[in-house]
Amino acid sequence: MTATSAGVEGPPPEADELLALLRRVVGARVGGHPDAEDLVQEAYLRVLAASDRIDPGMTEAYAVTTARNLVASHWRQGDRFKRHQHRLVDLDEPDDPVRRMEGIEDQGAMARALATFTDDERELLVAHEVHGTPTAKLAAEQNSTAGAVAAKLHRLRARLRVEYLLAHENIDLPSDECRPVLVAVSLRDRRRQRETKAENHRLRCEVCQDLALRLEQQEPERDDFARIRIAVDADIVTARQKARELASALGFPGVDLTVIATAVSEMTRNIVRFAGEGQVEIELVNGEAPGRRGVQVIVRDAGPGIPDIEAAMRDGYSTYHGLGLGLPGARRLMDDFELVTADGRGTTITMTKWQQGAKK
Amino acid sequence: MSTGPALFSILRQGQYLVASVHTALDDSQMLRLQGDLVEEVGRSRSRGIIIDVAALDVLDSFGTKTLGAIAEMARLRGATTVIVGIQPDVAFAMVQLGMGTGAVATALDLEEGLAFLDDTLALPSTVRHGQ
Repeated sequence: MTATSAGVEGPPPEADELLALLRRVVGARVGGHPDAEDLVQEAYLRVLAASDRIDPGMTEAYAVTTARNLVASHWRQGDRFKRHQHRLVDLDEPDDPVRRMEGIEDQGAMARALATFTDDERELLVAHEVHGTPTAKLAAEQNSTAGAVAAKLHRLRARLRVEYLLAHENIDLPSDECRPVLVAVSLRDRRRQRETKAENHRLRCEVCQDLALRLEQQEPERDDFARIRIAVDADIVTARQKARELASALGFPGVDLTVIATAVSEMTRNIVRFAGEGQVEIELVNGEAPGRRGVQVIVRDAGPGIPDIEAAMRDGYSTYHGLGLGLPGARRLMDDFELVTADGRGTTITMTKWQQGAKK
Repeated sequence: MSTGPALFSILRQGQYLVASVHTALDDSQMLRLQGDLVEEVGRSRSRGIIIDVAALDVLDSFGTKTLGAIAEMARLRGATTVIVGIQPDVAFAMVQLGMGTGAVATALDLEEGLAFLDDTLALPSTVRHGQ
């Protein structure tokens, strides 16, 4: 501290002295940050503006506090910016030339992605994501509620993730179905995924499957849902063990766990045998009766389909020298069983086991 | 065929082979068990095979079919097979699914399995010795 700060009755510090003090305070906190000088000037202006309210001799203390507060709020804004950044893309500081080049490409892709949005949508995204305007303030400007704005931002971000990925990889989507499917995947919205038949589409469309897997990469692990790719023998075991694990969370008795695992084993084997590849989704679901829960297993492939369902559902029917028990057996094991198949378009089996469910 | 470590062991116990499954087996591993057992019957000149499936999580149509195939192949090689250790849950699911091990002999556990083989194999050999 300078000598003047000690004297209670001392004259107010000169401008240069005050600026030097502010630079030290700010510099100690933000270092050589490009905004440092802005913060210093801002703090200085505030001190000058408040000079008639400051007790004599307290100017320095006031300046130091003001500078500290400014730095803190600057950090908060930066922090908010950082917290929201991941929703767009990972914008970690590039630390080597190659990554810096990628950064430049990123910006081009981002610009192309943003170009697919309307002006209003783009403005909203930029206001929130880049300038960090809170949703409450945006809602007030649009005569809307914070919740509605947040939901809209959520949808826009999901779309932006898709458009950014497409722009970055220079991908042209092969069909009109693709984009809604990818947005639904990006939204992690199961209902929308059902509406767009996302899962079936992904099994048919390699481009979308690849993109969807990447969009899902950041999907958090859920303890009430699992999706398992089925392509080889070992996947059958993985699938039935996962089904058992999820079902046990609902407190199913051991015998039901084995029953569910057996049904999953039978149905996923059909994929390996007949379709080559597919997937199984296992989800804990709510029944119509309140509090009644169950395990729903959806087994899906985009294989040849089943030409004669009636025959396939009959005991003893087998096309590969098996026991011919797969489909009718699984139907007996589960409470609900639904099979949808189309020639050349694959097969989807939805089966559910309910807690204390009555056998069919 | 899986190339990893075997998830089952085949041990010789006198004239018998005892095959123990250690964990859930996928289809390739079931087939590997089948191949190994049928070969080992000849190598060790075994008269009986006990397959302990207590550690299997499920016995679905493929697993059941493979056990049946092992028993039949072993029979053609001159050995009798008995399956032991089918858990109550697994038995329930097998019946619901619509299958049993059919013609293959079963016993509750290893002890009963050994007793079964002793009984089954003792009679013909006694007759032969008595002639």
